[in-house]
This record gives sequence, structure tokens and C-alpha cells, in this order.
Amino acid sequence: MRRLIGALLLLAAATGAAAQQDGGIFPFDYRLVELDNGFKAYLINAGAPGQIAYLSVVRTGSRDEVEPGKSGFAHFFEHMMFRGTDKYPEYDAITAGMGAARNANTSNDRTAYYLVASSEYLEQIVDLESDRFMNLKYPEPDFRTEAGAVLGEYQQGALTPGRWLNEKIRETAFDRHTYRHTTIGFEADVRAMPEGYEYSISFHRRFYRPENVVLVLVGDFDADGAEALVRQYYTGWAPGYQAPDIPVEPTQRATRRKIVRYPGRTLPILSVNYKAPAWSATDKAAVALEVLGEVAFGPNSDLYRKLVIDERRVQYLSGNFGLSRDPDLASIATMIVRPDDVAAVEGEIQATVDRFKTELVDATTLDDTKSNLKYGFLMGLETAQNVAFALIPYVVNTGGIEAVDAYYRTLDTITPEDLRAAAERFLVDSGKTVVTMVQAGGER
Amino acid sequence: MTRRMTIAAGLVVLSACAGQPKDTITVSEPDSPFIAFNVWVKAGSQNDPAGKEGLAALTAALLADGSTTADAYDQILAKLYPMAAGYGSSVDKEMTVFTGRVHRDNLEAYYTLFKNALLSPAFAEADFERIKAQTLNFLERSRRYNRDEELSKELLFWMAYRGTPYEHPEEGYVESVQSITLDDVRAFYDQYYARNNVVLGVGGGYSDGFVERVRADFDALPARTVTPVAPPQPAMPDGIHVLIVEKQTDASAISLGFPIDLLRSDPDFYAMMAVNSWFGEHRNSFSHLYQVIRELRGMNYGDYSYIEAYPAGFATQVPPTNVSRRSQLFEIWIRPISLTAPGTLHDRTLFATRAAVRELQTLVDGGMSPGALEAAKGFLHNYTVNWGSTISRRLAYAIDDAFYGMPGAGFLASIRPGLAALDTATVNTAIRRHLQSGNMYVIFVTADAQAMKRKLLSGEPTPITYASEQSAAHMAEDALIAAYPLPVREENITILGIDEVFERR
Repeated sequence: MRRLIGALLLLAAATGAAAQQDGGIFPFDYRLVELDNGFKAYLINAGAPGQIAYLSVVRTGSRDEVEPGKSGFAHFFEHMMFRGTDKYPEYDAITAGMGAARNANTSNDRTAYYLVASSEYLEQIVDLESDRFMNLKYPEPDFRTEAGAVLGEYQQGALTPGRWLNEKIRETAFDRHTYRHTTIGFEADVRAMPEGYEYSISFHRRFYRPENVVLVLVGDFDADGAEALVRQYYTGWAPGYQAPDIPVEPTQRATRRKIVRYPGRTLPILSVNYKAPAWSATDKAAVALEVLGEVAFGPNSDLYRKLVIDERRVQYLSGNFGLSRDPDLASIATMIVRPDDVAAVEGEIQATVDRFKTELVDATTLDDTKSNLKYGFLMGLETAQNVAFALIPYVVNTGGIEAVDAYYRTLDTITPEDLRAAAERFLVDSGKTVVTMVQAGGER
Repeated sequence: MTRRMTIAAGLVVLSACAGQPKDTITVSEPDSPFIAFNVWVKAGSQNDPAGKEGLAALTAALLADGSTTADAYDQILAKLYPMAAGYGSSVDKEMTVFTGRVHRDNLEAYYTLFKNALLSPAFAEADFERIKAQTLNFLERSRRYNRDEELSKELLFWMAYRGTPYEHPEEGYVESVQSITLDDVRAFYDQYYARNNVVLGVGGGYSDGFVERVRADFDALPARTVTPVAPPQPAMPDGIHVLIVEKQTDASAISLGFPIDLLRSDPDFYAMMAVNSWFGEHRNSFSHLYQVIRELRGMNYGDYSYIEAYPAGFATQVPPTNVSRRSQLFEIWIRPISLTAPGTLHDRTLFATRAAVRELQTLVDGGMSPGALEAAKGFLHNYTVNWGSTISRRLAYAIDDAFYGMPGAGFLASIRPGLAALDTATVNTAIRRHLQSGNMYVIFVTADAQAMKRKLLSGEPTPITYASEQSAAHMAEDALIAAYPLPVREENITILGIDEVFERR
């Protein structure tokens, strides 16, 4: 059994959070290589000697699955990227020969591929990665076989309460935007994947293009040499990204409520969600909303103290107000000890929302929260892989990493009044979706 | 023990340091902005009194997640918050560790909180009730309904260690945890949190004199006589013993394994590390089992094998630390096998199981080829650098080195020379010494346990079908797998309902 106390961001700083008066928060120099075809590579020397992390971020995720019946396809396609090319049919064997740690993952807004390897393999990796992004090739039987593995991946977490609940929250809160479905997709769509070979070819052709992919190379390497390799191997990649026509979510007009019955055992989970704006590094309202989630519902909040520690009416309370590329949800989640206490706990959450619309947060709390967010970022920059991963959200939301410094500069300017304004503007009943998950058949 | 290590780029260099305090392990990296802590208490779930299973874990959780005599729990959270730092506990069969990491800017304030958590716990009733309620919720609901694959692994260890101090899960049983009182926790703390039973690990960019100060603080703990627990002697099962846990599900979780007489400190270890990497490297397409079951047949998400305990493998790519044990299992993890139409869930479940057992026997019969051994050595040479990528992990490995009495510069530094020395004769001798496929425990979490039992006992082939046409060679091998013998006697099949699992001893 492992437990963690304190902030979820259990990390240390590469440089003091206070030591960022001049320049920005990001403690490493970097070089941007931009090619004529739109491809961008960020080269960052950081981490341990002799190691590199090679991260390719495709700014396509389940958000881009606009066609009916194709939910989960971005993630499925991620699997196909390991099936080789004419030049290198054995991607797995080659990277295993390097002893590289390599994997990929997909979420709403992106698909990220990475290798962590010894620096000596840099050229081989640039060759291998550029080749598969440009020239991926797999026969239909391989495609069908891989669909089985994806179904297995779907199954391994299908009945966890978190996944079950999240599917229902998204279906309830969204009508048109593709955030309506989860990244793994609807089960029926996952089961239909073996039939999608032709679609997969077009998926690669439309989205795996240089304008839509950003390389973040972190580690121990010679920057001039790395730049030359990037130019050599990626210049021939033809542009042609076709941005999908993602439906705009209509403005929600009234509170939505849903009760979900979970087929296993669980204490009731209450999820309160508000429609939130798109992520921004410079929009104070958006940044203030993210801070508000921490202040109002984080582990240092009054409500956490009351419900989790003092009254022990809930097993946990969390505020996930991290924003996305398109307008998404700001979510509060809590697991309630006594089923008959659900309505009262929802009342406590509502009272907290109301309080932040009228009262100003005290300066110390706000300062502590800013400190937490900054240290949380900086303390994650210990290894080359950590650094690369910490940059993913910025690449996803903006196409580059310059926004890191801009975001934390905006954070510095946030005032108690900004938090109150964010609460008034975004935590409104007309944008609210309340989903309660209870055990099917009731608690025994 | 007394030692000091300096590490760069994953290479460990041992340098003796005279005057290092007793029972203190340091990994000095003066340029690091981080300081990491790892306090090892030499007690684990094996020390839980009968009927109080889960006590070691509850004790550690209360210290890591509760009030001290200096600060109430909410004050501790408030003080940690601006640092974005925290500390946690981990309890395994033999070890309890408390770990944390902080930026050096915040070291003083952080260390005070960390020290107080271990040395000045308040044992507050409210904290105890909160943690006990969380633990019971985990036992009654999350463990049974969250992840069948993790549950199947816990059940494998439970079966293999019946009648030994390793038998019960670290978190305990529902009934045993219900019976634990705050006085039990106090007594456990008094018994085991003693200065002669605690090893301090400090790593990173701490300043001169800091380690001595930490040791002096912890020397304030009283000394106690701690009676050692004899190492478990798990019996090799006679044939194949099966546990089927019945649950409403359309996917089966499968774990199988048997005891092996092999520890990290043994001469055969690096040979078996190479074998296991080739056969089933954790969450890696390099795994042969993965190639056979997932890559070629698309049956599931992955298939791996282990020679050391690897809890919560679904959540990590790198091996867990501080789960050192004096007894280990050889373990195969077949990730959930789902029902696809056409075909039946139990046929697919047994096909995957047969494939794994057959591959294991093929390995035992044929050994590793020179090519496979070279591939494994080449892979591990660089791949294992990732295992010590952070200061917290390097420190945790140093603690584990102390547990195992690893010679020289410790495990991480010994991997490359250990692998380099291997040849096929050595490796294949080790395979024959440690592996076999006739005697094992097999755990299934699946639907309709009685039907599964009947199918197992019938011995009839369990073929699978595909969404696309396969080659004749592929189908011929499938026919061999589908009919591969899996002999099980009826008296060796146990069925449990999901809500009976880990309810009581």
C-alpha cells in the first residue's frame, strides 16, 4: 500500500520558484528549429549525462474524431505507429536493440510518442522516427490483429469506477463537441475497429503531417549536430495537414443532472462540472479559473479540511480545473461515505462556489497556491523525460513551448478579485452538469 | 551498514566515507537541487499479529497521513502546500519505508515536518478513523472492483504463501482491519519504530553535517529487542492448482506462478534477469510472451513475466523499489482476455493460458539461443539505466541493496558487469535450475466459474478465431496451443465469489 500526503505534485524544483525575476520560469535554454514544411523541433539540453528523451507530439487526439463510429481511433492509430515501414519493418526490434524505453499515449488533444535512450543513438532515432511518421505501412491483417489488442486495453480498465463515471459525465455535459467521448472510445466503436483499415490510411494522411507534429528533444546532445539531423531527416516531409471540422458546443442553458448506476461496488461519487473556457497562457480569466480550482477544492482548501479531515464525510475531494485546447469542463469530484449524505455534500460544494463569488480569498492563500503551482512545475524537471513531458500541455495548446513563461507570468498577476470574477463568470448554474454515480442495487 | 555513494548518469561509484553514522545510507549528489529521504523501518506485513493483518500498513499510513504532536494534520498539509512537496509511506511484506523529496530552498521547514511525522506522531483518534475508513473502502470495494488483473496477482501471492508470514495482503483482510484499534497501532509503533530497527536514507544536494543531524534526531527513538521473523518456506505445489474467482465480467484476468529459490543477491540472478527479460520484460514489446499472445494474435494488451515481486505493474514502467523480500515467485501476468465474437470467453482465456505455459515449457526444454541471449543483454545494458533515473529511485535502490546485502557498488551498478559475464551455458543451467511448468498456481478472475471449471477438467481443446485470415503455419501452431495439456485435478480447483475475496483469514 502506498500513500502520498500533501500535494499531488510531489516534485522538486530545478531552480527556486522565487529565482525567476528576470527571464521566465523555464530554467533551461532551448533552440527552436523551424522547417519550411511547418515542422518544429525544440532542442533542450537538460537531464543526466549520456541520455536523451525524444518526444514527438501529434496535435491530434480523440478531439479530432469527428466522424460517427470513429471514437477511439486516434488511440488505436497510436498502436499502428509501432508496426513499421518498408525501410524499417521491425521498429520494436530496432528500438529494443538500443535498450530504449519507448511508448506512446493518447488523450483528448494529442498523441505523444517517446523514446528515452542513450545519446549515442540520436541519429538512428531521428532517422527511425521521421521515417515512421512519413512512411508508416502496415498490411490489413496486422491492422485487424492490433484491433484485438486495443479491445484488450479497453477491457483492462473498463469497469473501474473512474472510467465508468467519466464516460457518463462527458455524454451528459456535451451535445456536439467531440469531448463528448473519452479517448478510449465507445465500446461499440472499439469492437468495430477491425473494419477501419481504409479509414486508418486516411487518418495518417490527414493528421500525420509536419505542421501538426512538434518534436521536443531533451537531454545530452550537441545542439548543432541535432539541428543538422532534424533538417536532414524531416525536410522531405510533405505538408498537407487537414484540420478536422470540430463541432462547436452550443451554449448550455440549464443545469444538467444524471444518476449513473455502477455495476460493481462503490461508495457514491459526486461529480460537479462547469463549462470552462479554452486554455490560455495570457487570458487572466482562464488562468484565474485554474487557480480557483486549487484554492476552493484543492488539498489546502477550507472545504477539504471540513469534509475530508474534520467531518470525514467524504473519502476524497478534488478540483480538476486544468483547461484544454477547446472549451472543456472544470470538475469537482468527491466520494461520499454515507449514501444519504450526497445531497448535503452537494450543498457544501454549492455553498463554496457561492462563497467564492462574493468573498475575496486572502492574500496568503493565493500566494501559497501560486507557490504550489510553480514548485509543482519546476520540481518535475528532474530528468530529460520529465522535462519533455512537462512541456506537452504547452505544445498541445499552442504548438510551441514559449507559452510556459507567458503562463507563469500571467499567474503572477492574478489577484483575489480575478478569482472572484472567474467564479462569477464560469461557476454558473446554467453551465453546470451534476453526475452522481451510485452502486447498482444499492449498498449492501 | 555504513556507506556513501555518488552517482552520475546511472553509474554508481562507491566511495567509502569514514565517520558516516551507523545505519545511514547516503547518495550524495552535491549539484542536485533536490533532497530525497527514504527511512526504512525493518518491519512489514509479515510482522502483523494474527488477527490484526494490515496493522503495519495502517500504522505507517497513520504516521504519513496524520497529525503530529507539533501540528494537526490540516496544519501539516497547509505547511507542505506552498512547497508542492509531500511524504508518503509504503509497506511491503518485509519493509516499511517513508519517502519524500523537496527542493533545497525548503529543506528546513520540510525536514521538521518529515521528522515529526515519524518521531512525534500524535496518534489522533480522528486521523485513525479517517485512515481506517479509507482502508476498509479499499478492501471492500476498490480491491474487488477496480482492477481484476491486480487482484489476480494478489491472489497468486496469497495462494503461494498460504501458511507463511507472507500469506496475507499488506492491506490486511476486511475483518482484521475492522478489529484494529489505535492501541494496536501504538503498540506496533513502540515495538518496531526503534532506533536499532530504522535505517535512514538521505540523497541529493544536502549540505555538510545534515546527515549527522538527521541520525542524531532519529537516535532519540528508544532501542528495542526485535525478534526476527523466519524467512517463508513456500512449498512447490504438486501439479497445477487453480483458483477461480467468480465475477460478472466479460474479460478474464489471469496470473500464474510458483516459488523460486532466487534473490537479487544470488549468483544466478543476472542469468535469470536476462532470461526473464527475453521471455517477459515488463510492459515491453521485447517480451516473447507479448509477441506470442498480443503481437501475433491480438488477444490482449500485454503479457509479461517476473522473477521479483512487482506490485501495481499496471501503473509503472520501471520496477517498484522497496519491495525487497527473502522469498520470490516466478510469475506470469496475462492481461485481461476479452470476449470477442465469435468465440467464448473461457476458450480464449484457456488458450492464452496454454500459450503461456507452452512457451514456458519450450524455454525450459530448449533454453535460450545465443541470439536471444545477446538481444536480452543488449536491451538491458541501456534499458536498466532508466531504473535509477531519479534521486529518489537511486536512494531507494541503495536501501534495497542494504536489505539484500548486495556487495560492491550495489545492484544498479552490478547489472552491466553481471550481464556481460553471461554465456548460454550459464543461462541455460539457471533456467533448468529455476523454471518448470508442471507445478504452479493459476488464478482466473472470470464469469461463470463452474463452467470454467468444467472446461478445465474436460481437457478439451480451446481454440480461438480471428477477424482476419491467418497463415497455415499460424493455424497449425494454434491447434497445438489449443490442445496443449493443462492437467488439473478436481480437488485442486477452488472457487471463490468476488465478495469473499480477502474478507477474512
